[in-house]
Amino acid sequence: MTQEDYLQILRNYSGPPVRIMEVCGTHTHEIFRLGIRSLLPENMELVSGPGCPVCVTPPGYIDSAVVLALQHHAVIATFGDLIRVPGSHGSLADARRQGAELKTVYSPLDAVALAQSNPDKQVVFLAVGFETTTPSACLAVKKAQAAGLDNFSILCANKTMPEAYKALKGSADAFLYPGHVHAIIGTGLCQELYRQGVSGVVAGFTADALIMAMAVIAENLESGKVFFENCYPKVVKAEGNPAAQKLLADMMEPCDCTWRGLGVIPGSGLQLRQEFARFDAVHKFGLTPDDGQVNSACRCGEILRGDCKPCDCPLFGKVCTPLHPVGACMVSGEGACSAFYQYNC
Amino acid sequence: MENKVITLAHGAGGRQTSELIGGIFKKYFANKDFTPDDAAVLQIAADKIAVSTDGFVVSPWRFPGGNIGKLSICGTVNDIACMGAVPKYLTCAFVIEEGFPIADLEEIASAMAATAAEAGVHIVAGDTKVVGKGQVDQIFITTAGVGEMLSNVHTSGTLAAVGDAVIVSGDIGRHGCTILLERNEFGIEANVNSDCAPLGKTIVEVLQQYPDIHVIRDATRGGVGTVLYEICDQSQVGIELDAAAVPVAEPVQGVCSMLGLDPLYLACEGRLVIFAPGAEADGIVEILRRLPGSQDAAIIGQVTADSGKVLVKHPFGGKTMLPQPTGELLPRIC
Amino acid sequence: MCVGLSGRVVAIEDDMALVDASGARRKVSAELLDDLEPGDYVMVHAGVAIAKIQPDEETGV
Repeated sequence: MTQEDYLQILRNYSGPPVRIMEVCGTHTHEIFRLGIRSLLPENMELVSGPGCPVCVTPPGYIDSAVVLALQHHAVIATFGDLIRVPGSHGSLADARRQGAELKTVYSPLDAVALAQSNPDKQVVFLAVGFETTTPSACLAVKKAQAAGLDNFSILCANKTMPEAYKALKGSADAFLYPGHVHAIIGTGLCQELYRQGVSGVVAGFTADALIMAMAVIAENLESGKVFFENCYPKVVKAEGNPAAQKLLADMMEPCDCTWRGLGVIPGSGLQLRQEFARFDAVHKFGLTPDDGQVNSACRCGEILRGDCKPCDCPLFGKVCTPLHPVGACMVSGEGACSAFYQYNC
Repeated sequence: MENKVITLAHGAGGRQTSELIGGIFKKYFANKDFTPDDAAVLQIAADKIAVSTDGFVVSPWRFPGGNIGKLSICGTVNDIACMGAVPKYLTCAFVIEEGFPIADLEEIASAMAATAAEAGVHIVAGDTKVVGKGQVDQIFITTAGVGEMLSNVHTSGTLAAVGDAVIVSGDIGRHGCTILLERNEFGIEANVNSDCAPLGKTIVEVLQQYPDIHVIRDATRGGVGTVLYEICDQSQVGIELDAAAVPVAEPVQGVCSMLGLDPLYLACEGRLVIFAPGAEADGIVEILRRLPGSQDAAIIGQVTADSGKVLVKHPFGGKTMLPQPTGELLPRIC
Repeated sequence: MCVGLSGRVVAIEDDMALVDASGARRKVSAELLDDLEPGDYVMVHAGVAIAKIQPDEETGV
């Protein structure tokens, strides 16, 4: 089948009106960037789910990072997205203006190298992300341990998808499952959801991959059956990446965790196991994190559940813009509000 | 010269200042208009002149494809030429951190001389200040320049018209990518050189054959994407961009995919964005492709009536907005 | 945050792989993949090779 064939399937969709949730922030971003929505028939609606790790991280997390930077004078190593996310009283960018030392890194392993070359400073890596990203944070801790570093730690807000999927089960007619999460965890969970009547496909991230995945969803929805297909088999194996799974299980354990917009989802968070506690910034610096304060008019929460669209929020595009974000969904390049604001024609 | 590094004495106006001027600036910048007096007095052969000035603070000062000296000539020459003027004279002012190696200053002056010669301009006056350690980062240069306006052309950011073709004079994003790699903050290696180049001769050549070109801009900080939004705003028009037609060198694309950057928002230092009547576009591209440095020139889009919007059209039919520029991703790019 | 980059393994040294994507090269961790060899295509995320890409379908990046 060629791309044109898939586009044809989408144009000819004759099934019922449907909602498809893209769970992954990277999907949200690529779908907007490539204009995939403009290729969909009117009765196929794409809604963004809670798969942008920056967006689902509660403001209290940013507050902890600010405390580490300003009170403990730690160097904060982070993925760029987190720098402008508002905390309860300000962002890390605001903290930088007050003297906080921030360093954008491409990989948590680079944060370990940063700690190695700055032995007189404490380096804290802001570990956010789902199954795709968590192994890199684990490798960083492992490397720091092997190097005998006592100036490296992570502020852990890593989350796992399974419990979130279950919480969102009824939110859409089909899910676009995030390819790189499933490259790690495999497709067992999707199969399990399928047996419970939840439809979806695992998809890659290129224009080709997204168009194909949407066409597969359209065809299946037309037939009215529950379905699951792995549309990204060249990267996603049924068994996932066993080495990454083992690393995760060895180093981290599940914990209850607050998702912005979804509340506490039991067992959906990850924390370092006791034997790695000295690399856990909360433990190491004696932090007492809470969830922090959000702007009460901000509807990020409902947006993350797919219950409303960014343009339904009274702040969207007026008070809240990428340059002056109120909610996390407007900050992150992968947030629904940011994507909607920047790419919508 | 006895001292191998610049000292505060070099900027104090005494013997060592004279040595610096004689030993480096006079040596490299020698031309009939270079003045030992307080100001240069110059002949101008046009009714109107274009004047521009620009400061350069790039870090690191040396990068593949150029250095801050070359950049300081190109930046001002290109700004002048984009207005439809032939760049003639430049002045330059240096602010140097004490301890800066004299050999490095020579390398910079030599690059300025070579670039000025290439661009056909004379450096006519200069100034040197030396400041204490930490008061500037190594070396900052400011240049100002004058050009003679071509008589029959009128380009301005306000003149883009519906139906105009949008042309770029080569592959985009190289300067920004080069600086980003040179800082080596992300552990990425790629074979990319800055596109830094004087564009006066290219512009004159094109304007002589197509005098009714509407807009010429050199894309610098903020890249081509920023220029597109500027022109939309100034001319109250929209643009539809053909994503597949935008020339990007393969390693630049590779670096962008690694870091999640859009080459449209990476800085250039030797690329023109031209808005011209659609019927002239192929001819302009043909001339550009024959000229050195613009072999990859391409038509990347067209001007629409949809004011303020830059739309990106993908080959498979997807259409989306180009995100608004949010400012340069990297500080001190030029 | 789940953005991945596909690239070709150019060299392996200990537990690191040098990966090339359209001429941009970076060392990434190869610890999570067994039997990686130069010439293999991998999906890289946050400096870690997370999956091998089936060679027959991979035409580059």
